[in-house]
Amino acid sequence: MRAAIFRAEVHEQLERIGQADIIVGIPSFNNARTIGHVVRAVQGGLAKYFPEHKAVIVNSDGGSSDGTMDVVHNSSIDDFSAILLHHRVSPISKIAFPYSGIPGKGSAFRTIFEIAGALDAKACAVVDSDLRSITPEWIELLVTPILKGGYDYVSPLYHRHKFDGTITNSIVYPLTRALYGRRVRQPIGGDFGFSGSLAQYYLTKDVWETDVARFGIDIWMTTTAIANGFKVTQSFLGAKIHDAKDPGADLSSMLYQVVSATFELMETYSEVWMPIRGTEPVPAFGFEYTVGLEHVNVNTARMLNTFREGLRNLGEIWLDILGAGDFGEVERLGALPDSEFHFPIGLWTQVVYDYALAFHKRKLPVEHLIKSMTPLYVGKTASFIIEAKDMAQTEADAEIEKLCLEFEKRKDYLVTNWK
Amino acid sequence: MEDFIDLILDPLQELFLKFKVFMPNLLAMLVILIIGILLAFIIKRTLVKFLAAINFDSWSDRMGFTKLMRKGDLWSKPTAILSTIIFWLLIIVTLMGGLNALQISAIDQLASQFFSYIPRLFSAAMILVVGYLLSGFISRAVLIAAANSGFHYAKLLAQAVHTLLIVLILAMIMEQLQIAPSIVLAAFSIIFGGIVIALAIAFGVGGIGAAKRIIERELVEDRPGKAPDDIEHI
Repeated sequence: MRAAIFRAEVHEQLERIGQADIIVGIPSFNNARTIGHVVRAVQGGLAKYFPEHKAVIVNSDGGSSDGTMDVVHNSSIDDFSAILLHHRVSPISKIAFPYSGIPGKGSAFRTIFEIAGALDAKACAVVDSDLRSITPEWIELLVTPILKGGYDYVSPLYHRHKFDGTITNSIVYPLTRALYGRRVRQPIGGDFGFSGSLAQYYLTKDVWETDVARFGIDIWMTTTAIANGFKVTQSFLGAKIHDAKDPGADLSSMLYQVVSATFELMETYSEVWMPIRGTEPVPAFGFEYTVGLEHVNVNTARMLNTFREGLRNLGEIWLDILGAGDFGEVERLGALPDSEFHFPIGLWTQVVYDYALAFHKRKLPVEHLIKSMTPLYVGKTASFIIEAKDMAQTEADAEIEKLCLEFEKRKDYLVTNWK
Repeated sequence: MEDFIDLILDPLQELFLKFKVFMPNLLAMLVILIIGILLAFIIKRTLVKFLAAINFDSWSDRMGFTKLMRKGDLWSKPTAILSTIIFWLLIIVTLMGGLNALQISAIDQLASQFFSYIPRLFSAAMILVVGYLLSGFISRAVLIAAANSGFHYAKLLAQAVHTLLIVLILAMIMEQLQIAPSIVLAAFSIIFGGIVIALAIAFGVGGIGAAKRIIERELVEDRPGKAPDDIEHI
C-alpha cells in the first residue's frame, strides 16, 4: 500500500511537533464560511477538556478556492475566559494543507490517519467543516471514551428532526444493525472519534483508490470497526445543524454513494454478517437532552408523483429485481390515493434486501441499479412522513425501531438467497 | 490412321498430365479440409466448455444479449450460438484455404478477396457488440435519470435514444462492410435529419399545448407560496 506523500512544509511541521496525544481532523472543501467556528470549537474543546494533552488540529483540504485554509490559520479563541477557562493553555498546533490523491472525503481522512500515525496519536476525532452546532463539548464526547474508556471507535448520536436523515433511518441504520448485530444509530454521522491503533488499522486496508476515497468513508469506518471486533461506543452530541445543503445535490447520486458503499461492504464482510442473528445495544456517553428543531417543509404530493412516475417507467427493472410477488405489491401502492398511501415496512425490507441481492449478483451496472431505487425510496419516505406527521419524536423513533426489527426478522431471506 | 489415333490420345495425355499436376493440389485441399473440420469441431467443444466455465450465459442474460436473441427468434443458449458461429467461421476459413490449395487463379482471387475482407467483418462484429452494449447502457441511464426527475415520458425518451443509437450503429456497420457506402451515408443522413426535423416540428408546432402545460406546471411548482422540500436525506 502506498503511503500518502506529504508536502515538504507538512513534513517540517510534523518533525517540529514530534508527537501528539490527540489529533482532530477537519476535512474541507470551500467551507470558508463555517470552518472558523468549527476550528474555534475544537480549540476550545481541546483547551478546556484536555489541557495536559498535546493536541494538533489537522485541516485536510480538497483544494478550496475560497480561502478555507487561511480561515483555519487565522481562527483562534482570543479570550479563553469566555469558555470559563482560567488556567494557562499551551498553544494547540494547527496544520492545514491540501491532501493528495483522488478528490474526496475519504482521501482527506486518509491523510488525517497518516498524520495520526506520524505523530503517534493516542486518540483522534474527525468533525465536518460545515457544522454550525458544534460546541467544545463535542470534542470531549468524541475523545474521552477513547482516552479514558478504552474504546476504539465513537459514533455520534444526534437529535434530528423526525423527517431528517431518512437514508440513515430507512436504509443504512436498519441494514447495518441487522447485518452486524450492533445498534449504532448514526453509522454515517460524519463526526467520529477513534483510537490511534484503529487509525493505523484503517491504513492497512487497500481501499484508497476505490470509491471509499471519494465517498462512503463514513459507513466504511463504522463497518470496518464493528466487523473487525473493535470496541465501539456512541456519544450524544446534541443537535446537528450544518450549513445549508447544496441545492444542486442530486438525491439519486446521494443514494448511490451511500447505498453502494454499504452494499460493497456486505461483499467484503459476508462471512462476518451471515451467521449473526439478533442485535445488541451499543453503550452511549453524554447527557441526553431535548432540543428545539427547525420546521422541515415537505411536499409529499410531489414525492408520491416521483414514486408513481418511477413505477410507470422503471417497472421492468423493478420486476427483474424484486420478482413478481413484491413488484405486484409495489404496483398496488401506485394505485392508492395520496391520503391512503402506506408503504408497509415488510415490503420495504424486502425491497432493500432484493436490491442488495441484485447488487451481489451484478444484475445491472451498480450505478443504474442503485439509482433505479430512488423512486422506491422516495415513496417509502413519503409514506413515513404521512404517517409520522402528527407523531411526537419518540413515536417517530418507535416507528424506526419497528422497521429495524423487521430487517432483523427477515434476515434469513437475505442469507439464504445470498449464496 | 496413326494421325487419327494421335488426335484422340493427345488430349487424353494432356488431360492426364494436367491431372497429374493437379492431383497433389487436390490431395492438399482434402487434407486441409479434413484437418480444418476436425480442428473446428475440437475448438467448438473447447469453446463450449470454456464459455460454460466463465458463466457466459448469465453474463449474456445480464447484458441483454439473450433478450435480443429471443427477439430474433433464436432459442438456443448463447453459449451454443456463439460456439456455432465460431465453428462455421472456421469451416468457411478452412474451405477458402482448401480451395486456395488448388491453385486455380479465379479461386485464388476469390480467396484473397475473402481474407482481405475478414478484418472488416471482425471490426463490424465488434462495432455491433460494443454498440449494442453501449446503446443499452446509455438508454437505461437516460430512462433512470428521467424517471427519477419525475419526467412522465421517460420510457419514450429512452426508447428514442436507443433507436437513434441503433440507427447510428447500423450505419457504421454497413459503412465498415462497404455495403453500398454512398447509399448508406445518404440514407443515414436522410433518416437522422428527418428524425431531428420531425422532432423539431412536433415540439414546435404539435407540442405547443403540451409545452404550455409543462411550463405552467413548473411555474405552479416554483410559486413562492409553495414550500420547497427541506428534508436532509443523509
